[in-house]
Amino acid sequence: MILNNVEVMFGGQAGDGSLTTGDLIAGVFKHMGLEVYTYKDFPSRIRGGHTNYVIRAGETPNYGMADYVDGLVAFDLEAVEKHIDEIRPGGFIIFDNSHDTLTDAVRRPGVHYYEVPLAKIAKEEIGLELVRNTVSLGVLSRLIGMDEETVFGDVRAVYQRKGDKVVDLNIRAIQAGEKYVDDHFERPSGYGLTKGVDGDRLIMMGNDAISYGALVAGCRFMAGYPITPATDVLEWMAKYAPKYGGVVVQAEDELSAINMVIGASFAGVRAMTSTSGPGQALMTEAIGLAGVLEIPLVVIECARAGPSTGMPTKTEQSNLNHLIFSGHGEIPRVVIAPGTVEESFYLTATAFNIAEKYQLPVFVLSEQALCQSKATLPSLDVASVTVDRGKLERNGHLTFGEYRRFAFTEDGVSPRAVPGTEGGMYLAAGSEHNDHGVITEDARNRAKMMEKRMRKLETMRPELPKANVLGDRSARTAIIGYGSNRGPIAEAQDRLALAGTPTRFLQMRTLWPFPEDEVRDFIAGADHIFVVENNFTGQLERLIRYVVGPLPNMHAVLKYNGKPFRPVEIIDAVASVVAGAAAPRPVGA
Amino acid sequence: MATTLTAKDFATTTPSWWCPGCGDFGVIASLKQAAADMGLRPKDTAFISGIGCSGKISGYFHSYAFHGVHGRALPVATAVKLANKDLTVIAAGGDGDGYAIGAGHFMHAVRRNPDVTYIVMDNQTYGLTKGQSSPTSALGYVTGTSPGGNPDEPLNGLAVALAAGGTFIARAFSSEPKAMTEMMKAAIAHPGFAIVEVMSPCVTFNKINTYKWFKENVYHLSDLPDYDSKNRAQAFEVLMQPGKIPLGIIYTEIRPTLESLTIKDSPAIAGLDIETANPRYAAIQEAYR
Repeated sequence: MILNNVEVMFGGQAGDGSLTTGDLIAGVFKHMGLEVYTYKDFPSRIRGGHTNYVIRAGETPNYGMADYVDGLVAFDLEAVEKHIDEIRPGGFIIFDNSHDTLTDAVRRPGVHYYEVPLAKIAKEEIGLELVRNTVSLGVLSRLIGMDEETVFGDVRAVYQRKGDKVVDLNIRAIQAGEKYVDDHFERPSGYGLTKGVDGDRLIMMGNDAISYGALVAGCRFMAGYPITPATDVLEWMAKYAPKYGGVVVQAEDELSAINMVIGASFAGVRAMTSTSGPGQALMTEAIGLAGVLEIPLVVIECARAGPSTGMPTKTEQSNLNHLIFSGHGEIPRVVIAPGTVEESFYLTATAFNIAEKYQLPVFVLSEQALCQSKATLPSLDVASVTVDRGKLERNGHLTFGEYRRFAFTEDGVSPRAVPGTEGGMYLAAGSEHNDHGVITEDARNRAKMMEKRMRKLETMRPELPKANVLGDRSARTAIIGYGSNRGPIAEAQDRLALAGTPTRFLQMRTLWPFPEDEVRDFIAGADHIFVVENNFTGQLERLIRYVVGPLPNMHAVLKYNGKPFRPVEIIDAVASVVAGAAAPRPVGA
Repeated sequence: MATTLTAKDFATTTPSWWCPGCGDFGVIASLKQAAADMGLRPKDTAFISGIGCSGKISGYFHSYAFHGVHGRALPVATAVKLANKDLTVIAAGGDGDGYAIGAGHFMHAVRRNPDVTYIVMDNQTYGLTKGQSSPTSALGYVTGTSPGGNPDEPLNGLAVALAAGGTFIARAFSSEPKAMTEMMKAAIAHPGFAIVEVMSPCVTFNKINTYKWFKENVYHLSDLPDYDSKNRAQAFEVLMQPGKIPLGIIYTEIRPTLESLTIKDSPAIAGLDIETANPRYAAIQEAYR
């Protein structure tokens, strides 16, 4: 029996309530003391269309999916058809045979099928077909040994606000599912769970951690426009910021949102927006304005599959080039990328300090597989977050005429006055300006001003988030990646090491200004360098070549079908090249 | 100590880029006079402008001035007001900036009703790019981009503002400085989004809508004995009437401002002390246990 290690997938039609049940199960796993990661694979629509929700539990932290699904809860035949090849040999399927019948085409040797009339039980025994999800929870619970007390406790907690009747309904639905298993199946699922200690931990979605980090860092103004998968941040802040004296605006478009953020920051408030590819594109012009006005701001980029509308609910890492290079003219900017939910909190908080200290736009880059995934994590140390407002001028120091908002300084950072400050009045102009802020096209001034602004990229370097190095630092096989790929890469490393290929892994957390020294040091002496990323063109791999130079032993491991990596895919790519292949094949193509 | 400021105290040393005779000179003069008369302080005033000849105006008004990207003055101004509700916030731009590239923001700023004064300097042409047709150019107006005559119906910005829920809608003519100054003062004093559209002739490129043309084609609402600026139907009527252009305060209404609905009685956000950790922060994560 496989103990305390299971990946469950709920598959059905969008809008059938599997999200609530999936979240509930994730909570149960956590409360049983297990480490949890969830992944949502939804269609970009509200009702209908195949959807699945993966919940993974284990004894060690996993920040991504496993190679295979252990147990699929299929509410229709389509779910089995779509995912049958993802089921681990020895795994199982709980199939709702109320309306569909299993076909021979979806039968695989080694996969066990538990056929349960979930909808029928829900309708006939509980009186409400809608609770078939909860019936399935009972079935699953019995099959893999979820702790009953924890399940009931969590059901009560989740449905309490809907009243005792709803709680009772769901408890009965679970019991009906459990009873069906007891009455009809003797074969064990092959999986089991034991109840451990939950401990001082949280279960949180990436976007919630980003929002929480922003609030704790003192963000008190947010403007945004709803866009998947970034809307969670706007909604979180709309709920919490007003309780701390802040304000959140749902703007008429992203052009307005980013200009509002600039306005609020100009007025002295820590401000941010959150968006995804299409909105990011619309913000491009104003990001340039912020760069030249030296206005601090934070942009949360929750990347999704592009271009254009692309696949709004699917994951991709194809916006890296856009964040680093977009825009006319040249400005200093920073791109940082958390790799876990925990880092999403701390790095977002850090982003505000960098933005304000160096007076420029900072992008926090996440992607669907991280920002909309939940994971267990240690409780967050909110007291460790510090606020550094940089050269923000206070009342009583400035003399109008002498004060230079854009003063040429050694570190490139000039004293910043905000409205209300005596003596600090100046013109913030997107036109090139002199140190006083007066518009000028003087050639000497232009060159000096460009140098001053761009100099900040150098002076900030010591303060930028450093990469994490995982695995065996002396290994001859090197892997580079960022963001949501931290999980599958780290997991692949463990297994590659067991199979005789130890690896070192550079999880980059600052992507711009490009940490050239960090990368050079890391790759020194490597036989093979693999850059793992979710895009077609190998944006990070090309970036490394662009900065570090040609590296014949560097290979991009690419996946661009909208789904995150599973560890086996990385293992196969690395192993094929180590065994002599010229280059890894794209995954899932 | 409250020293009395004069219009000169709101001037900057930046030389003007406007052509001699430009209607925009009248606008800046009236604004400076209004600011002085109302006892505004430069340090507590934010002046936000867009792009175009009119957009240069923020550089000529001594304050915390902001000259951003084309068409986006109103999102910036709205946010400045939300960030620091104690400031007097003035936004300005031209007909192209406000009614073309920034049209989307215009109606949303109107409906949000932040306490911002918005001056639209309407010269019915694109001056800074040398005389193309604008959203308010007359039908048939011949320019480099409309050699066969402008085929687009001119936009009635004030009627749009009225339809979008505008709470202060007025029109001035830049060669009537006294009336304009009074109007600016009323607009700045209005608790809500106040739009003042100023007929501001372009002496270089618009040879149709000249000072002389305006003088012959405007009338004053104050000359209408029964005109009631609180009557929306009447306001629509004068705004939609073909022919002569009405000047004066066209419509006023008191409606809650954006700040009063969001920030309420809380202090200005910009004044909050965020440098010490809030003890309430830790409690948030209890919901994620």
